[in-house]
Amino acid sequence: MVFDETFDVLVIGGGHAGCEAASASARLGATTALLTLNLDLIGQMSCNPAIGGIAKGHLVREIDALGGIMGRVIDRTGIQFRLLNRSRGPAVQSPRAQADRALYRLEMRNTLENTPNLSLRQGMVVDLLTPNNTVSGVVMQDGRRIGAKAVVIAAGTFLNGLIHTGRTTYTAGRAGEPASVELAETLKRLGLPVGRLKTGTPPRLDGRTINWEAFQRQRQQADERPVAFSFSTDKIEQPQIDCYIGYTTGQLHESIRKNLHESPLYSGQIKGVGPRYCPSIEDKVVKFADKDRHQLFLEPEGHDTNEVYLNGFSTSLPAGLQQELVRMVPGLENANIIRPGYAIEYDYIDPRELGPDLQVRRIAGLFHAGQVNGTTGYEEAACQGLLAGINAAFLSQGRPRFGLRREESYIGVLVDDLISQGVDEPYRIFTSRAEYRLAFRHDNADERLSKYGREIGLVGDREWERFNQRRDRIAKIKKALTGTRIRKSDPAYIALAEKTALNGVDSISLEDLAKRPGMTSVLISQLLPAEARLAGPVEDVEFALSDNLYSGYIKSQENAIQRLHAHDTLLIPSGLDFRAVSGLSHEMAERLERAQPVTFGAARRIPGLTPAALATLLVSVSVSA
Amino acid sequence: MDTIVALSTPPGRSAIGVVRLSGPASLQILRALVQQDLFAPEPNRVVLKSLLVDEGVLDQCLVTYFQAPHSFTGEDMVEISCHGSPVVLRQLIDLIQSHEARLAEPGEFTLRSCRNGKMNLSQAEAIRDLINAQTQAAAVQATRQLSGELAQALQPSKHELIRVIVTLESAIEFVEDDLPAVQLDDIKETIDRIIADVANLAETYRAGHLLRDGLRVAIVGRPNVGKSSLFNRLLMFERAIVTDVAGTTRDSLTESISLQGIPVSLTDTAGFREAGDKIEAIGIERTRRAMADADLLVLVIDGSCSLREEDQQILEAAREHPFVVAINKTDLPQVTAGKNLNGAQVVHVSALTDEGIPQLTAAILEPFSSLDSASVGLLITDSRHHDLLIRAKNSLAAASRSMDQGAGEEIVVADLHNALRFLGAITGETTSEQILGEIFSTFCIGK
Repeated sequence: MVFDETFDVLVIGGGHAGCEAASASARLGATTALLTLNLDLIGQMSCNPAIGGIAKGHLVREIDALGGIMGRVIDRTGIQFRLLNRSRGPAVQSPRAQADRALYRLEMRNTLENTPNLSLRQGMVVDLLTPNNTVSGVVMQDGRRIGAKAVVIAAGTFLNGLIHTGRTTYTAGRAGEPASVELAETLKRLGLPVGRLKTGTPPRLDGRTINWEAFQRQRQQADERPVAFSFSTDKIEQPQIDCYIGYTTGQLHESIRKNLHESPLYSGQIKGVGPRYCPSIEDKVVKFADKDRHQLFLEPEGHDTNEVYLNGFSTSLPAGLQQELVRMVPGLENANIIRPGYAIEYDYIDPRELGPDLQVRRIAGLFHAGQVNGTTGYEEAACQGLLAGINAAFLSQGRPRFGLRREESYIGVLVDDLISQGVDEPYRIFTSRAEYRLAFRHDNADERLSKYGREIGLVGDREWERFNQRRDRIAKIKKALTGTRIRKSDPAYIALAEKTALNGVDSISLEDLAKRPGMTSVLISQLLPAEARLAGPVEDVEFALSDNLYSGYIKSQENAIQRLHAHDTLLIPSGLDFRAVSGLSHEMAERLERAQPVTFGAARRIPGLTPAALATLLVSVSVSA
Repeated sequence: MDTIVALSTPPGRSAIGVVRLSGPASLQILRALVQQDLFAPEPNRVVLKSLLVDEGVLDQCLVTYFQAPHSFTGEDMVEISCHGSPVVLRQLIDLIQSHEARLAEPGEFTLRSCRNGKMNLSQAEAIRDLINAQTQAAAVQATRQLSGELAQALQPSKHELIRVIVTLESAIEFVEDDLPAVQLDDIKETIDRIIADVANLAETYRAGHLLRDGLRVAIVGRPNVGKSSLFNRLLMFERAIVTDVAGTTRDSLTESISLQGIPVSLTDTAGFREAGDKIEAIGIERTRRAMADADLLVLVIDGSCSLREEDQQILEAAREHPFVVAINKTDLPQVTAGKNLNGAQVVHVSALTDEGIPQLTAAILEPFSSLDSASVGLLITDSRHHDLLIRAKNSLAAASRSMDQGAGEEIVVADLHNALRFLGAITGETTSEQILGEIFSTFCIGK
């Protein structure tokens, strides 16, 4: 085959998955091209202009620890940073930032344009070349043929995208952008199982027409240090803005209920399954009819625009009706919609077709990342992009595949869930999906993953040095925590005894003191010897105390899980013929064949697998091991 | 699916031996065994057939055919009851294997039954208990668990636990959503209530264990007080050698008896005293062990002599266990009337005349008096279930303690998840997806 151009790796799609994939692949030395429908929309945030949140913020920090780019880009373009769950334990705190949508896009494009080995190409991919079930390249709509050893599909909602507003439907990948129909058909033709999902987005308002006084200002606390996503960021430079909170009214709910027949969600027009945690305003009003108000967030889209994102008002009602309904919100009486909300249905490929490296098992060199795998969220997409990009580059270079375990990271949990259980609604990460939540803190993502980033080759010398220095500082603090004792004779003792019950003990180590109720990292920090305290930021002390706080619980949790799931790490030989396992029913063998679990633990999590089938599998695998 | 075969009665010589086949080839194999290609037995009907081999008739047997799905495993099954000669049974199973069947793995019939939806995991475990059930009361108990009662009894606790987890998880995951504030007092109260319920269920294990394994009773006392005579009395045959020489019993003897339908394993022990020789020393060491293992001690005292130092020592040693004092030899003039025994339960008996034996039996069975075999409630009989309940209880208690100490939700919920995992090992797992499902149907989540 004659190609117009040839690369090691092609990435289809310039969204959050595509950007990470292209950047990682190119930086690992693979010649890489990012193919996108519109170069000006690289890194576009299709839905709300924010990154992070509980568990999602963890993902971004894990991406950063591995050497991905999302954390750096949001740190440079974020206009409101918050640490969610600040009043709760460190394991469930997570950073979130509001982005300047346009700046984020520009910063991302700029980052990619300045990446060696990376080429950007505009155009639509219409066909994949897969002779002998091995990827060799793609065909573009304009007839160009581009060769490659590996292709990453990160097409987002574009595969057979269909937009709904009221009864009106039209094909599109996002509002105002064409859908990718031929590529979707190509994937079907390759025999990949395709499903249909749905998501939605709220209307955007003209900020000049909002009565801001009617809303409650949500501002950053003066004493809150903005928490950056990237371990390499020293300071957040963007000027910070406020968001605003308001509420819907019972009268508005009544109007929505009256107009439900106009909603494609309720008329049966939409077949795809939407995310339960991101319900449309129609859904909220119907499913939680007893609630007399629902919360809305007004999120400014950037410094240089009047556009405001009406978070909480996702809808697919007709555009004209949306305008009427929005004006029923107190404070939005005169508000104008500048972009109506809509619902979009799109194709996804069953992620159980993938291996832990996100490569399609039946087609060598084909990788899937992001929403095509049935996930939702920029962060979920980005981490898959990173993993797929690394593995695509590795494949082209003959390096062994790279994967993460669910015992060590949220990325590992996400990938394992996807490839072993598949999805029946858009998949979002939650902290409760992780068995080892207490061990996965956002601030220790580097401790958990930077070693891999370094080995892979994505963590540079500067970042590695930074990581090691922090590690040394924290080790010193930990030593000081165990070594420093507060004695009855110390002046601090009396003051402490007022804050927490010391029960008259003669002396107590800072480590033990920190576990007492009423103690804070600031208080403990003040008691540390100056050389430990002053060597780095107060976050170092918080880090050491968090490790201290959770160590016992992490151990007891490990014990409980190991006792019950002692066989989880047992490897299932690759290529095991499940149909030949004596005692496994046809149906059970089929489920196993689909999921291709790598370990017994993965098999245990396959939905619908009976305890008897698991027992049978366990016997068979233990015998053959 | 292949066809499996196994001997389903205990191995060894017995009156009847039952061989079972399960799988699609069961009927075909039966036809081969009776050498009738067109043999079409009516399902669930017992018929007398001769099993034929080249040399002639192997055995005259009762055969029953069960048609899928109306059988124990849900598959085609054949049951062959033949004479319990180990040689015949061995030959028959070999013969069956020469047709298209293989020897079943341990528990494979039950496994198939589970897989075909005939029973759930805890029912499967109850089957094992049923097979091992020694007494009628235990059989009733096993039958109850068969109907999934244990899983059912745990449902309310599990449900409450999930509700608490859902509340705490929602608070952690959806901090920006407009959720009702978490009422920590309510949660603590609920957790403590679940602890009590789980603990109550776990505590039935002692009674359940007595029902299944029977009561272990050891007869102890200083030498020559008549322990072996009493032992023989209770067994109703002369098992132990009885002489008037002190120290005749040198080793512990154990026999199983049924006292009013309750299984009792009765141990006669060597007399408790300073050992005279090495053999006696070993015997006394065994006595100590038998005492440690026993659920109940019968402490025998010679009523015709005054209490001795050795009697007092044994009384002291027995304090750690439930025990009954049997003052023996009421046929002789009595010197010790059961005084100075610190209120221990006392029965006057004569191993010679049988006087007081019914009273002693009643005293031994005292722990069962509350367990009327027909009307017992749900009892835990499986040590694995007991272990899981205790672990669940401990995890819940840790969560409750953490709440008292003002620990964060993520720490409290970690222990609650552990508790749910332990309960789940009995009732079936609760996945994180199910918890999320509960959250989304309880609260309006999402911007």
